[in-house]
Amino acid sequence: MNRGVALELDSLRLAHYGNQISCLICAEGNTPDAEYCRNCFAPMILAHQAQSHASKPVMFAALGPSGVGKTVYLGMLLDMLSRQPKHLQLAARGGFSVTLQHNTIGALSRCEFPTKTPNEPDRWNWVHCQLRSAKQKQPVEMVIPDMAGEALFEEVDHPHSYRVIHSLLSRCDGVMILIDGTKLQAGSLDEDYFTMKLLSHLTELATDPKRPWSSRPVALIFSKADQCESCFEDPNAYAQRHAPGLSRICHQKFRRHCFFAAGVAGAIANRPVRGNPSHMVPLRVEPRGIIEPFEWLVDNLRG
Amino acid sequence: MRTTSPDSRTGVFSRLPEWFSNLLGAGGTSRMKREADASMQAAIAAVVEQEDEAPLAPLRTGREIESVVDEMLAQGRYALLLRPQLIGNLSPEQLARTRAALADGMGLVPEGFVTLRPPFTDESAGEAPLLRLEAYYLDRYPVTNSQYAHFVASGGYEQMQIWDPEIWAALLDFVDTTGHPGPRNWKNGRFPRGEEHHPVAGVCWYEAVAYARWIGKRLPSDAEWVKAGSWPVSIPGHPLLSRRYPWGEAMDRSRANLWGSGPGHTVSVFEFPSGVSVGGVHQLIGNVWEWTADAFNLNSTEAPTASVQTKMKSIRGGAFDTYLDGQATCQFQSADVALTRKHNIGFRCAIHLNDLADWREESADEVDEPEGNSFAENPS
Repeated sequence: MNRGVALELDSLRLAHYGNQISCLICAEGNTPDAEYCRNCFAPMILAHQAQSHASKPVMFAALGPSGVGKTVYLGMLLDMLSRQPKHLQLAARGGFSVTLQHNTIGALSRCEFPTKTPNEPDRWNWVHCQLRSAKQKQPVEMVIPDMAGEALFEEVDHPHSYRVIHSLLSRCDGVMILIDGTKLQAGSLDEDYFTMKLLSHLTELATDPKRPWSSRPVALIFSKADQCESCFEDPNAYAQRHAPGLSRICHQKFRRHCFFAAGVAGAIANRPVRGNPSHMVPLRVEPRGIIEPFEWLVDNLRG
Repeated sequence: MRTTSPDSRTGVFSRLPEWFSNLLGAGGTSRMKREADASMQAAIAAVVEQEDEAPLAPLRTGREIESVVDEMLAQGRYALLLRPQLIGNLSPEQLARTRAALADGMGLVPEGFVTLRPPFTDESAGEAPLLRLEAYYLDRYPVTNSQYAHFVASGGYEQMQIWDPEIWAALLDFVDTTGHPGPRNWKNGRFPRGEEHHPVAGVCWYEAVAYARWIGKRLPSDAEWVKAGSWPVSIPGHPLLSRRYPWGEAMDRSRANLWGSGPGHTVSVFEFPSGVSVGGVHQLIGNVWEWTADAFNLNSTEAPTASVQTKMKSIRGGAFDTYLDGQATCQFQSADVALTRKHNIGFRCAIHLNDLADWREESADEVDEPEGNSFAENPS
């Protein structure tokens, strides 16, 4: 290669650098070779892949406290939708989008729960996929992150401490809020307060006035419902019985909300492990009520 | 309940208490034998109970006893009639029908070895311990709603002697959606319309045990359940050859009602016939999980043993909503709390070959009647 050509390439690279790419989550400009957004630490590959489509991808978020089952729920949902040949199908865009379901199903098949999602945003699993449904002619681009519960509540308590969460919640099109059904059944009010905090946070977010949070779909999912079967019979009645505050705030502030019940592990047990503290393990995988909340969110996207 | 002196009646029902003591005297050595005996005693005691509830009629005639036998056959309680203590009293025609019912309802699993992998381990964990089993019969199909309905209709939930005393306090909770005794998903004491051949589900482990006793059988042990499905072949000098699934080594979802291969709920026990085991046992994999007699051992480093007392009981085989192929194998063991009544857990029953009279070699007429154990003094 002669010197003249090398100079031309360097110039091209410099010119290319000048053309910054906006982060899909926070819209901050980043250099083309940035792996993570310099502002919010969301993966820049989302922005690169989104450039190939005219419309911005739909964004959903799974919210809830640490240990409520967000990772298991999302991993299971993605795996079910990518395996079933029925009316809703998901196709991953990029290998990184398969990691969440791979890790989740891998752990469950070993009768373990997946490891706790780290608090650092650059270590979260993000899913970019295409959703095909019988109701829509064109596939819908979709982005769903698996966020850490502790980071989420840090942001709720101290807004702007996690810019990625702030940006995502401001612009996302719908949320799945997971509530531990077993803790509610046991009489714990923590879940009620956690969820009320989240909902209050959403309503106060400065967003597009044409699209306030009160009009966006909110699916409230009682997780671990296989351990409290009455959840499945009537989730709305369950909410009124065990989380009256939450039920009231939903009716007052969210026009489109619905309660669901979901379970992944058919049974759990406290497994003693020699030399280590015992821990809860799933004894089998029998997903129930997993797809329904997501399907409801998709149906209520623009309606 | 009326109390009557055994001497006030004649025929099989007056002699049952003696059979109990005979059985106890026989004293099996193994746990399984003891459990089988207990099961037998409880089942026969239930018959006595029913008889005691009836008005004190004069001496039973052969015709009356025949009708009792017919009723028991209609209820599927053929295993009770084939006990050595009873079989000599069946008429040749009744014996033929009883034998046919056994052949139709249960598959024979020959004696031999089986490997039983501890929970939380897979094939990579190395050789699993070998267990030797005597020959036994296992129900060809899971117990269906219509079969269980006989138990409910005959007052099975009120016959205290077939229930473990530890569970008496909970018996009133074993009701359907309308508060009648029965499986959790039934209504007004009846199973859902059109589901007579679906496996009964929504029953806890204790209900399964009580039904098994009432019908003259018992729940299979984990080893028995696994052996019926994996059908191990022992070749000298080689490790035991066992099947991963009843039909072979590879998962074939067209052979079992699992997540993604069925309608998402239970189906008739006669569906998915290609999933049959070598021994003619159907739906070991899929449709409903099946309670076994054994407790679940959470210590992964040890083989499951009956001595470990936990509140969880073992279940096997996967159900219509089982998601992972690896959890719908013959070896995979899951568990649930013994009192749980889930929509996807049912059961099937077993009985030791040795607990049945050896009618293959002796005709009914040639069976030696144990002294004082005549089914009817004058079988007509």
